[in-house]
Amino acid sequence: MRSYSETEAVDFVIVGTGAGGGTLAARLAEAGFSVIAMDAGPYWRPLEDFASDETHQEKLYWTDERIVDGEHPIKLGSNNSGKSVGGSTVHFAMVSLRFRPEHFKARTKLGYGADWPVDWREMWRYYAEVEDALKIAGPVRYPWGPHRGRYPYRAHPLNAAAEYLARGAEALGIDWTETPLATLSAPRGKAHPCVYRGFCVTGCSTNAKQSVLVTWLPRALAAGAEIRDLAMVGQIETKNGRVTGVQYHREGEWRFQPARNVIVAGYAIETPRLLLNSANGEFPNGLANSSGLVGKNLMVQLNQAVWGIVEDEVRSYKGPPSLAISEHWNYEDRGKDYFGGWSYMSQGPLPITWARTLSGGRGLWGQALIDEMARVNHSVGLKMVGEVLPDERNRVTLADECDQYGLRIPRVTFAFRDNEKAMIRHALDFMDQSLAATGATERWQESDDTCHLNGTARMGNDPATSVVNSDCRSWDIPNLWICDGSIFPTVGGVNPSLTIQAMACRTADRILLANHEAS
Amino acid sequence: MEDVPSRNLVASLVAAGAATLASSVLADSALEHYRGSFRNPAMVLPLAAAGLGIVVNAGRALGRDEGRSIGISSHVGSMGVGATGLGFHAYNILKRPTAGGMNGLFYAAPAGAPAALILSGLLGRTADTLRARPAEQRDAIGRPLAVICAVGLLGTVAEAGLLHFRGAYHNPFMWLPIVLPPMAATALARDAASGSAHPMTQMLLGATVALGLVGVGFHIYGVARNMGGWRNWRQNILAGPPVPAPPAFTGLALAGLGALLLLRQRKEHHG
Ligand SMILES: Cc1cc2nc3c(=O)[nH]c(=O)nc-3n(C[C@H](O)[C@H](O)[C@H](O)COP(=O)(O)OP(=O)(O)OC[C@H]3O[C@@H](n4cnc5c(N)ncnc54)[C@H](O)[C@@H]3O)c2cc1C
Ligand code: SF4
Repeated sequence: MRSYSETEAVDFVIVGTGAGGGTLAARLAEAGFSVIAMDAGPYWRPLEDFASDETHQEKLYWTDERIVDGEHPIKLGSNNSGKSVGGSTVHFAMVSLRFRPEHFKARTKLGYGADWPVDWREMWRYYAEVEDALKIAGPVRYPWGPHRGRYPYRAHPLNAAAEYLARGAEALGIDWTETPLATLSAPRGKAHPCVYRGFCVTGCSTNAKQSVLVTWLPRALAAGAEIRDLAMVGQIETKNGRVTGVQYHREGEWRFQPARNVIVAGYAIETPRLLLNSANGEFPNGLANSSGLVGKNLMVQLNQAVWGIVEDEVRSYKGPPSLAISEHWNYEDRGKDYFGGWSYMSQGPLPITWARTLSGGRGLWGQALIDEMARVNHSVGLKMVGEVLPDERNRVTLADECDQYGLRIPRVTFAFRDNEKAMIRHALDFMDQSLAATGATERWQESDDTCHLNGTARMGNDPATSVVNSDCRSWDIPNLWICDGSIFPTVGGVNPSLTIQAMACRTADRILLANHEAS
Repeated sequence: MEDVPSRNLVASLVAAGAATLASSVLADSALEHYRGSFRNPAMVLPLAAAGLGIVVNAGRALGRDEGRSIGISSHVGSMGVGATGLGFHAYNILKRPTAGGMNGLFYAAPAGAPAALILSGLLGRTADTLRARPAEQRDAIGRPLAVICAVGLLGTVAEAGLLHFRGAYHNPFMWLPIVLPPMAATALARDAASGSAHPMTQMLLGATVALGLVGVGFHIYGVARNMGGWRNWRQNILAGPPVPAPPAFTGLALAGLGALLLLRQRKEHHG
């Protein structure tokens, strides 16, 4: 790996190496820029460093101190953020979906939320680029939305849990399909195909999972980028209205790396936290915050589930956890008493996660918990990914307490509003019907889980109502960019990583174009 | 009985083809039905039928004869078990949920394997007929035999095409069995139609014989590309591409070469 000195400014320092930052590191380095991508987490080698052990793999999660409050405080940690080179994609569930085109124009087309300042057709091209970069294994025909090209790899075999989703959907007369997944269904270079052991959300130890760690970052290194791991950026410095570099903590000391441009890609809590923590004399309210929107409009996604017991041995933990999906309620607007869309997928929880679900979500304890755990092979479930509407009251601010680096920690305030509650009701009822149609009994509802983090630095066409423009460039500081989950004006009813990566590819192209025009 | 070398050669080629197909089926169904834990006792039947088919047909290819009745029971048995297997496999595919129709085709029981058993029985029977008939009546078998081989090759191509599509043609060599055998099958069918054997057909069939053997090598390499490689052979032989499958091309092409010889003799005999 190439390494850059701290005495000379590089073209780009990227803060965070996940879906947004890792993708940009590759694309910008390949375009010839000098790039340092910093991450607070370590640079793992999955084949040697990962164990098939839920507890051991907690080392991947962002578990630094944070304060959660509001009417529905978000559970932070394993299910929403990573602290590793490769970001949350190192332990993500690999579901790789495109937004419904209308969801990019939710305000004008569907009457809620906000519009994205980009055209879906352009995004469609970038989706295709990312799908190819990750060799997404998807169905031969995708049942919803406008035509898309053939997925680069074929879909994986369905496990029994996925067949339950399929049978339920068929009984209720709606479409379902094999979930497009970022794990290999055939060899790719040195990477082996998936072995279907199902440890995906604790980090894949075979490298079949096409995370940022094994896809974009090797490209970034090959193109001359430096990945500086265990480097926690605490402050972005500015002078005369432009950023000059970053203060970062590494090996026990604070250091300064000068840069001509800085891109923040720390995900929807750490990104606003860094921007707010970087407040200085020039920008007393934090960087890029003239709109006052940095930290606001935090959107998780609804992650409620219905579980039941069936006679067959399902062993739903075999294989990637979500092999089948229905996006029906992303594309069907009739029959809803709420705005927005949701999808639902088959499930395959690992043992500790399942014990937590049964104790926390269902309230089982003692012998009742042990008995229920013993029936795990017969448990089957469906889980939604549902749209949360942007709301300024859901937000990230700075608490007065400091963390191990001496930086003020984030306070995350969140509440479901009526729209979310109505969507949850509908989704739980529908998923319950689907499970019932497959003969599942003893059904129960897990009603308070959430996943994914978005918003908090939204993109838009108007500096008064957005933090970055359509190029992910800050309205206030021309050489400061934000490109990760936080730029989402709305979240739609699909998992976000493919959209983040597509947006990062687009941003790289926009930077290139601007650079050509300037020179 | 008169001893015409070419007659022996033709019958031997066809019997060798039948034996090769049976070997491919034996190894393949042993692996795949082991994977399926022999859940249905009938899953041993193809092993038995293919095993007997190897003994009978390999014997005949080498000029031995285990007797007429054992031959008939072997050939008819193969065809019967193959046809039953086709039914079971079709049921296995159809009982699955069918998004876009492909997941079952990719991952359920394949249609190609029992079909290969039927073909093996058919070729074995043809080899026996060739041995039993007087010389002047043998040439007539050339055309139907050529058609059987051509159709069998195309069916095998369809199976390889489907499964290589499942593998996303990640290795360009995966196109070989999609490109070469159809050329051989087309040439053979054309020769059957015109009643004359072209040297080009012989070359293409010879290449297809070799392709089936080279394919084994590629599939051995394919197994190595799974987690743990051949050190983890007990899992990877099931997870990787089926090592015994490609020689189905070899078997059919061998019999096709036999058909070609008959077409040539017919031309010589009838001018
Ligand atoms: C368990 C789980 C399952 C998921 N499943 C899916 C799925 O199936 N499909 C899907 O599309 N999405 C899924 N996601 C969500 C997806 O992983 C995230 O949306 C995506 O990775 C976010 O990308 P990002 O670039 O915004 O942030 P991340 O990928 O989280 O990357 C941010 C990186 O920045 C680093 N960082 C943050 N602040 C600093 C700082 N100040 N200094 C240095 N480094 C910093 C962090 O260490 C981290 O590595 C899942 C997430 C989790 C946790
Ligand atoms: S099931 Fe596949 S993707 Fe998931 S951890 Fe195992 S090999 Fe990796």
